[in-house]
Amino acid sequence: MTSVTRPGAASLRKDSRTPPFDRILVANRGEIAVRIIRTCRELGIETVALYSDADVDALHVAAADAAVRLGPAPAGESYLRGEAIIEAALETGAEAIHPGYGFLSERASFARAVTDAGLVFIGPRASAIEALGDKLVARRTARAADVPVVPGTFEPSPIDRADQIEAVVAVAERIGFPLFVKAAAGGGGRGMRRVESATDLPAALAAGAAEALAAFGDGSVYLEREIRPARHIEVQLLGDEGGDVVALGERDCSVQRRHQKLVEETPAPGLSADERAELHAMAVRAARAAGLHNAATAEFLFDPDRRFWFLEVNARLQVEHGVTELVTDLDLVAEQMWLAAGEPLSDAVREVAAMATAPGRHAVEVRLAAEDPGRGFAPVPGRVGAWVMPSGPGVRVDTAIRPGERVPPDYDPMIAKVMTVGRDRSAALRRMRRALDEVVVSGIQTTIPFHRALVRDPAFAVETGSTLSTDWVGERWDGPRDRAGVAAVAAIAAVASASDPARRTEAASLRKDDRARADSGWRRAGRQAATERWPR
Amino acid sequence: MAEMTSPDRAVRVIESPVTAQPDETPRVIAAGTAVPGRHQIHVGRLGALDIDGRRTIEVIADGWRFELVLEDETRAVLRERASRVRGAVAGAGGPLEIRAIIPGRVASVAVNPGDRVEAGQTLLAVEAMKMQNELRAPRSGTVARMPATTGATVELGDVLVVLE
Repeated sequence: MTSVTRPGAASLRKDSRTPPFDRILVANRGEIAVRIIRTCRELGIETVALYSDADVDALHVAAADAAVRLGPAPAGESYLRGEAIIEAALETGAEAIHPGYGFLSERASFARAVTDAGLVFIGPRASAIEALGDKLVARRTARAADVPVVPGTFEPSPIDRADQIEAVVAVAERIGFPLFVKAAAGGGGRGMRRVESATDLPAALAAGAAEALAAFGDGSVYLEREIRPARHIEVQLLGDEGGDVVALGERDCSVQRRHQKLVEETPAPGLSADERAELHAMAVRAARAAGLHNAATAEFLFDPDRRFWFLEVNARLQVEHGVTELVTDLDLVAEQMWLAAGEPLSDAVREVAAMATAPGRHAVEVRLAAEDPGRGFAPVPGRVGAWVMPSGPGVRVDTAIRPGERVPPDYDPMIAKVMTVGRDRSAALRRMRRALDEVVVSGIQTTIPFHRALVRDPAFAVETGSTLSTDWVGERWDGPRDRAGVAAVAAIAAVASASDPARRTEAASLRKDDRARADSGWRRAGRQAATERWPR
Repeated sequence: MAEMTSPDRAVRVIESPVTAQPDETPRVIAAGTAVPGRHQIHVGRLGALDIDGRRTIEVIADGWRFELVLEDETRAVLRERASRVRGAVAGAGGPLEIRAIIPGRVASVAVNPGDRVEAGQTLLAVEAMKMQNELRAPRSGTVARMPATTGATVELGDVLVVLE
């Protein structure tokens, strides 16, 4: 490691430390790659980006100091090519690899290969990723650490013979229905089946196992009781190589669709200081027991009887880490890098951890995605036209999209994270309402209508959080109805705009060659004459 | 320009198949209707007139994206009437008036009064927004009258050719 001295930076605590690396490779794309590169720029660390053929002109490529092509657009031929990524790091002289989230971030084999190549993996060590990636190992680890785990089984359910299936059904009767069949290697809801009664269980076991085998190469399944209604609450953790782990507050991520988060906030509304302390302590115990260090998140369900149930640990930086950064003033990516370089937990982190049960400010995040909330949040990739993101007091936007950008069909549909922070929850929500009013995205449908409706819903604003539930979208969101409510307004606006002579002169030809010649003066005049005649 | 915003002008609006939800019905909106209520609205560029005299426009209202097709209501009614007439008389006798379905300038005339024409034969071309729109004979017949001449400005609904 080389010491770099930069004048004028000594007054800031985080800059008073030596940058942990001279150059790192960012093994990701989109907003998270850009977000990691931003921290590197602040710290004076050079960055190497990676790109597929779909991302040649992407912002993360432009933002980095160097970029390496990985291959064609499909992730399997580009961002998931671990060996090629390590090779790129070695060739460009990067000392460490930050995997972001998704892609290779939770592949133990990749983390191990990075380390074996003499590079630093910025994240938990491979053994911890491996242990926590197996949901059954995670459940056993948490139980051993005296953390309440969602009732269910702790070993793979043998389902090869009829008598084995009978035994599983008997176990299920004791756990209670409805319950879930889940994949041990699971993630993203794959291999998961909800079962209402014993008669449905054998078929669900077979289907879940087959799906898990196809998705993960491991058909092991287990049983977990359904906790419902429930809130999804998770704890941000940081740990150092010495085994010290701290909690940096919790996030409520209850509003989901298809088991994927739409909205996150911190702190979780309505928790008492005691509940918060209990939750944080459980998360830290589970992480310590798993030998976890660097950044991770422990996920829990919170039931109406105010009990927490351990779900799993994500051994990586989370999508929603930004809300924690907004209320703590920490840079979690920077902290990750120092921890990966072997430094102990920083003073700043310890200060925040000490105050974590008495949160001050409140932050909210909405995930804007190229999805149609009027059609079951179906992905709708395409080319963005206008792109205006909010700014102003208390607003943060993480995105890699620019006007005219193509949202490729090959990757995650999330296109931006809009975050707001305020003195309390109502201030943060007020700010979010204002921020979302500033957003303009044309060309593709986005999840904005859902978010606009959510932050205006009085039920969501209830301070105790008692209305929050993972069932929110199913119970309260009627996309087609919301859309129909503004269809007439859209039509009137279209007519008003088309009748406005100032606007009609802008009428653009649909033909590409015309666009290229659009700046020619006589052409514009001709077009104006033509448009003025329409409609008579 | 003044008539553009006069209240008796009406525009037919239908959602394009790209974004339309099921059961979408056309709306007829008087030009000059004010946008009601408090909504966040972004109106994209007005597309060029298409071959049928319609144009598309993108509207984002409260985050919902609409691709709308606008057509002058008078013209839409004419177009519907014309297509009904065509359907009824195609291949049959009797005089048939061929009217302008877009306003513009007659760019070229391909036939003269007295000419025998076949169904599908080009009669003349009307230019609008630098696009030439060819009008073809809906059925075979003889050109009885040819009110349109090259260079003439035509309005929506003007009779261009009469076939017998």
